[in-house]
Amino acid sequence: MHWAELLFELTVMPLVAFLVGLFMVLMMRKIGARLQRRVGPPLMQPLYDIVKLYGKRTQTSHGLLHEIGIVMAVGGYVAAETLLPVPGMNGIAEKGGMITLLYLTMIPSLGMALGVGQCANPNGSIGISRALTAMLAYDIPFVIVIAGVAMHFGTTNLVDVITQQQAGGFETWGISQMPLLALAGLFALQGMLGKQPFEIYVAPAEIATGPMVEMGGKFLGGLFVMQCFQLYTASVLYVTLFLGGGENWITFLAKAFAVLVIPISVAFLFPRYRTEDMITMLWKWPVVLGLLGLVFVGS
Amino acid sequence: MSNSDQFPVEIEQPHHKGNGSGNIFSRVFDELTAFCRSRSMFILHYCTGCGAIELPPAMTSRFDMERLGVSPMVSPRQADILLITGYVSVKTLKRVLLTYEQMGSPKYVIGICSCTVNGGMYWQSYATAKKLNDYMPVDLYIAGCMPRPEAVITGLRELMEKIRKGEANGWQDYYRRYDYYLGHQQRLFGETWQTPTNVVGEARHYGLLGDETQGVHTELLKRHQKPLEALEMRLSPADKAEMEL
Repeated sequence: MHWAELLFELTVMPLVAFLVGLFMVLMMRKIGARLQRRVGPPLMQPLYDIVKLYGKRTQTSHGLLHEIGIVMAVGGYVAAETLLPVPGMNGIAEKGGMITLLYLTMIPSLGMALGVGQCANPNGSIGISRALTAMLAYDIPFVIVIAGVAMHFGTTNLVDVITQQQAGGFETWGISQMPLLALAGLFALQGMLGKQPFEIYVAPAEIATGPMVEMGGKFLGGLFVMQCFQLYTASVLYVTLFLGGGENWITFLAKAFAVLVIPISVAFLFPRYRTEDMITMLWKWPVVLGLLGLVFVGS
Repeated sequence: MSNSDQFPVEIEQPHHKGNGSGNIFSRVFDELTAFCRSRSMFILHYCTGCGAIELPPAMTSRFDMERLGVSPMVSPRQADILLITGYVSVKTLKRVLLTYEQMGSPKYVIGICSCTVNGGMYWQSYATAKKLNDYMPVDLYIAGCMPRPEAVITGLRELMEKIRKGEANGWQDYYRRYDYYLGHQQRLFGETWQTPTNVVGEARHYGLLGDETQGVHTELLKRHQKPLEALEMRLSPADKAEMEL
């Protein structure tokens, strides 16, 4: 591949991800509003929020790590987008693969931990300890799912995974080949997005939005941008692993948005679990489902 | 609804709008930011009184503030609007001021209910601050005892319009006339009153030092101000005694 073409893809892929992510945030807020019989925010609301936050006159920084933490949180996802193949663009997906992607999706949590640590706010510290605990909880089923998918397709290369799934239509999709793993993946997705009932680390009424408590202005704006990337990464990863990626942009976006409807709808219907309940739940049901799925994949 | 008709409060208008009156790009950018500010308002509601009960209907399915871009936030760092919903006792006012000074500029204050306007039914109370705009700049009052959710929404729309036009500059007034506000605060809390925020320093940082930023009251503050120190990390005396044994 020519280097200019590669550079173009590496630039465009995160930008597209951000744009799609904005609409995903809008969809999330709209679904929440409709479930509560409200009208919900206007079309451009996520963008207004981000521009407003970056346009604040006061930017209260708590030090260098506070700023680096936000850069890591956004940067981890920006790097992850270049490893996620989209229709027509593969970026560096062929060189990365699932395992690199798995590592990269952890960087934002670690970056936030660094940044929040310097804020020295007790609510923030509680929030970040819960966020890392949550990561421990959902990563076990997530790793099982990734391992199962890699075993089934015989590769960790996401481009190959998509090609194999698209070879025979719905019959060869991950979801029809490995339904148990797909179900376990949905559980992990819910934990990964940090949505109710696993919304333990934001918890506005309990620990004042946890990691976000000391964030104002551009710092909160950075986290809003991160949320766009987070929704995009999680749903596109699921689409890539189980729904055959995208043949073209229309089916790709339709699948990505459809996948996201499930965790979001669940989120607005459930209250919040306690931390230990979340771990118990995520280490029990999705792990059992995932291990059963592994047995079927192996046999 | 606007406070300028009823009370002789002079809120100083900025001498120049934005920072790039000549450059067309910076003017476009300023207008875009002002528009986004008006369409995205995060409120921190300091629910001090009965007006708080009017907010749930304004937020939920009947009136739905989110369609105007108004959403509740939980910490002063994240919020744009401080919503004070009812009477403010002297003790509460200290907390309100601490919260207000920690919010990021540009910030706006809305006083809901008659009690914030003139003390309302607590006029004769010895423990209630009567006029909120003596202690902090209030951008908008929503009068009524209590105002209905329709009035709250109308008030928010009016504030949106003011923000979009760049007229909601109460936060600049706090820096320009800090001495005036501090004077009222000292009258109520005693002359040893101080907050952790260096307001004069912030005014200098934003270039908003006015003639009334410093005066007799800030002099008094300087005389009584104790430097802020980080809390010492130590075990409680009982634990310490136990460890020494």
